[in-house]
Amino acid sequence: MNKKAFPFILGLIAILMIALAGCASGSEDDGASGSDDSDNESGSDVEEKTINFMHLWPEGSSRQHHLIVNDIIAEYEEANPGITVETEILGNEQYKEKLKVLSSSNELPDVGMTWAAGFLDPYVGGDMFAPLDDIIENDHSDSFVPGTAEAYAIDGTTYGLPLELNITPVMYNKAIFEEHGVEIPETFEELKAAVQTFVDNDVIPITLGNKDSWTGSMWYMYLADRIGGAETLTNAINRSGSFEDPALVEAAAKVQELVDMGGFVKGYNGLANDEAKGYFINEQAAMYLMATWDLPQWTTDENNPQEFRDNVGYFKFPTVDGKGDKNSYVGGPGVGLFVAEDSPVKDEAKDFVSFFVEKWGEQAVSNAGVIPATKVDTENVELPDMYIDVLNDLNEASNITLYADVQMSASVAQVHLNMIQALFGGEVSPEEFAKEQEDALAAEEE
Amino acid sequence: MTKSNSSLKTKNKSYNNSLGNRIGLGLLYLVLGAVALFQIYPLVWLFFFSLKTNAEVFGTSPFALPKDPQWGNYLKAWVDGGVGAYFFNSVWVTVTAVILTVLFASFVTFAITRMDWKLNKLVLGLFMVGLMVPIHSALIPLFSFFLDLNLIDHPLSIILTYTAYNLPITIMILLGFYYTLPREVEEAAVMDGCSVHRIFFQITLPMTMPVISTTAIINMIYNWNEFVFVNTFISSDKYKTLTVGIQNFIGQYLTDWGAIGATLMISIIPVLIAFFILSNRIVDGIAAGSVKG
Amino acid sequence: MKQVMSNKLIIAMYTLPALILILALVYVPIVMTGYYGLMEWDGIGAKTFIGLENYIGLMQDAKFWDSAYHSFLLAAFSTLSLVGYLVISLVLANKLKGSELLRKIYLIPMLLSSVAIAQLWLKIYDPNNGMLNSLLEIFGVENTPTWLADPKLVLISIFIAIIWQYAGFYIIIYSAALKGIPESLVEAARIDGANPIQIAYKVKLPLIAGVIKVTIVLAIVGSLKYFDLIYVMTGGGPNGASEVLASYMYKEAFASYNFGYGSAVGFALLVICLIITWLVRKLTASNEEIQY
Repeated sequence: MNKKAFPFILGLIAILMIALAGCASGSEDDGASGSDDSDNESGSDVEEKTINFMHLWPEGSSRQHHLIVNDIIAEYEEANPGITVETEILGNEQYKEKLKVLSSSNELPDVGMTWAAGFLDPYVGGDMFAPLDDIIENDHSDSFVPGTAEAYAIDGTTYGLPLELNITPVMYNKAIFEEHGVEIPETFEELKAAVQTFVDNDVIPITLGNKDSWTGSMWYMYLADRIGGAETLTNAINRSGSFEDPALVEAAAKVQELVDMGGFVKGYNGLANDEAKGYFINEQAAMYLMATWDLPQWTTDENNPQEFRDNVGYFKFPTVDGKGDKNSYVGGPGVGLFVAEDSPVKDEAKDFVSFFVEKWGEQAVSNAGVIPATKVDTENVELPDMYIDVLNDLNEASNITLYADVQMSASVAQVHLNMIQALFGGEVSPEEFAKEQEDALAAEEE
Repeated sequence: MTKSNSSLKTKNKSYNNSLGNRIGLGLLYLVLGAVALFQIYPLVWLFFFSLKTNAEVFGTSPFALPKDPQWGNYLKAWVDGGVGAYFFNSVWVTVTAVILTVLFASFVTFAITRMDWKLNKLVLGLFMVGLMVPIHSALIPLFSFFLDLNLIDHPLSIILTYTAYNLPITIMILLGFYYTLPREVEEAAVMDGCSVHRIFFQITLPMTMPVISTTAIINMIYNWNEFVFVNTFISSDKYKTLTVGIQNFIGQYLTDWGAIGATLMISIIPVLIAFFILSNRIVDGIAAGSVKG
Repeated sequence: MKQVMSNKLIIAMYTLPALILILALVYVPIVMTGYYGLMEWDGIGAKTFIGLENYIGLMQDAKFWDSAYHSFLLAAFSTLSLVGYLVISLVLANKLKGSELLRKIYLIPMLLSSVAIAQLWLKIYDPNNGMLNSLLEIFGVENTPTWLADPKLVLISIFIAIIWQYAGFYIIIYSAALKGIPESLVEAARIDGANPIQIAYKVKLPLIAGVIKVTIVLAIVGSLKYFDLIYVMTGGGPNGASEVLASYMYKEAFASYNFGYGSAVGFALLVICLIITWLVRKLTASNEEIQY
């Protein structure tokens, strides 16, 4: 019996020793990457500085983005001897969570990624992000597409430099449309007629992953835009208007008309966007409202069959009863770069951000299929036709309304997203839908 | 403890020979087999999942075989997902934390159930409360705590966290067993003048081998699959663990599910092996423990 | 002999390492959570002390109570399912051919990470191409349910996945406990003529009663703070129909930037767990001298 215990304890001690050795070797080189303050004091002729850069383009899922980032960093380090850029890369959700935890201890990376409006508001309120107006004035006064950098401004000061710009057209499957003799709908009535045809023929008219309710929100936003004009929803959110505006209620009613017809894929409220997209890629669904960040999947992504990609087209969201401007879009900038206010290398970080935005703009479309928020010179790049069309549409856009959940403060956005699910699920009437959000917005104003 | 034994009457003499029982046994196997299929199917499913493209993962039937097996997913997992690089970290972090947890928990359970002191109920209560903390509300306090200790981005931060957060459940499970186990052997040893350490290491630990293996399995699985703490406390690539590899495939707008499947498939193999070894210890252990000393 | 087993130094040696770890890494966060709960704090900027306002708000927050109700349902459901796990363990504990292998197979799902389990069950419940609805269609069911999208079905659908996820966990505990029963007692009962069911009920169950009580507490506490599958599979939706305490806390703290309020929810969750554990102890310890 005793024989059993001794090997056990011996093994245990051995493993603990290995563990400690692992820790010890860890702590030795810890200082090298971790803190940059200590390194500064060693008085070599070139001052060594490290910029910590946290981004969300891992090699696995965003290979091209990842490579461009590494390229830009290499180029920057080359041009600025003594400066090293250390990256930390996380997936989308984990990135947001970690940013939150880091900021609670004022440990933000020197440079990181942020979203516009509602997302960065608390960070600005907590003096976490550095103003970047000087960069825009000095280096980028004419680089950005109008309206994009403004989305990162609070009270006239800009805290983020946008990297991407998207609009949201309705993607559709040309083959399915042709097979059922459906034309591209110009008006909401035609859209409904198209939906009816698909319903009658057992084709999924519209696929929608409304578990991530920002997807359903885009449908609602378009209807609100077409019925009430570009400003109504924005005004309701910025409190110069009301969410109980008749146009906003009517838009909700129109959503339910589509729902009642069976316009959306079965179980949409339980489907994630990825799952819903699957029906479109497998050519089971005729239409899919999604922003242009997915363009690579419709054009160049080899993982999707060539026949499918050839069948994908897009059209502008229809008008409603002849009202509305088809050149008004839901969309806006996605991620942008911030510089931490308390960064020990703030000047270098700002310089890097400025450099990054410029280089990113040159490479993003051609190498990663991302439409940057900086102006794109379409003359000199080889692009699939769909990109050219989208870029032209962008130039002709009369208005781009930023995604409602991004415009709103985080807690109101939660109400909005819940209400979108309830509206699509038929749990609330259009009036209740509007009132609930009006209440949330009004409560916050106090 | 065995007070109800005498109440058993000798009604059913040859219950295992009758035809009815044979049919019953057959049915039982049928049910057990069906359940087993249901339990083993996920592994098969995961394997097929790991060979699919996103288009196949979504939209087509989950029963469907991969049309054109994407073995490249495994290459992606190994290279892009950093599975090769994170593997060793996962192993030693998991092993260290499991050993610390099980050893500390055994110490505590032994002291609480076998030794005489007034505060034992209170101390036990303190540990039980540890069960009830939702980890996400501990995230920010823990981060600032480790920051003060200069342990952020240091493997010790996750090892200590895993140990602390698994101690309560481990102690609870051990406790149930310690109360059940007969104390005669230990009492005899005390009579013989054994030291407490000898009793603990040479009698109690070997005797509780089945439950130690059980808790080791449970701890191992928890630590191996944990990602919230690693993501928050660790930023250097050299300390990250396998679950972080999965994050590498979750993009801003596009997630590579096939590669995630491959990463999951690779990372389940070591636990599967460790699990089979440890679960055999459950049987061996009791054999060793029941030999009278 | 008493002296040996009440050596204060040894008691301290055995308990202090774990105790220090727990106090530093579990109690400090608990205290901090309670403290943040007294603040109006977005988690980033300055904290404002608002006293019990968050906790009072909680009492009137319908969403909080809905989430709590869902968590309670899960706790009840999980506790009931212990019976099923116990039956399986008892059956496998008999000297059936192949029970050793079966037991191992039954534990396999436990090895999978939540990410994999969530994906699997999403595929099972997919309303159009999913496994479950495909099967139902084969049997001629029209209008198959939409499971996770249906506010009436979403909870039970996820509960089933959770019950399945945890089967291995409890079966392995019960199996180890049953292994610990001396063969001589079972043999004695068999000689007395007891059939396997009687042996299980009259001999084995009383012997592992302590372990069963532990699993009841684990099931209840584990359910009340359950997060993983719910967050991945439905995110608490549609429109809060599957929101539980932990997911509500997470959303408030991390998505809505109400870290103060989220902490209050977290602290309330802890208090609820404490109260229920205390109740369970009262209820189950009444007729046994065994305390845990």
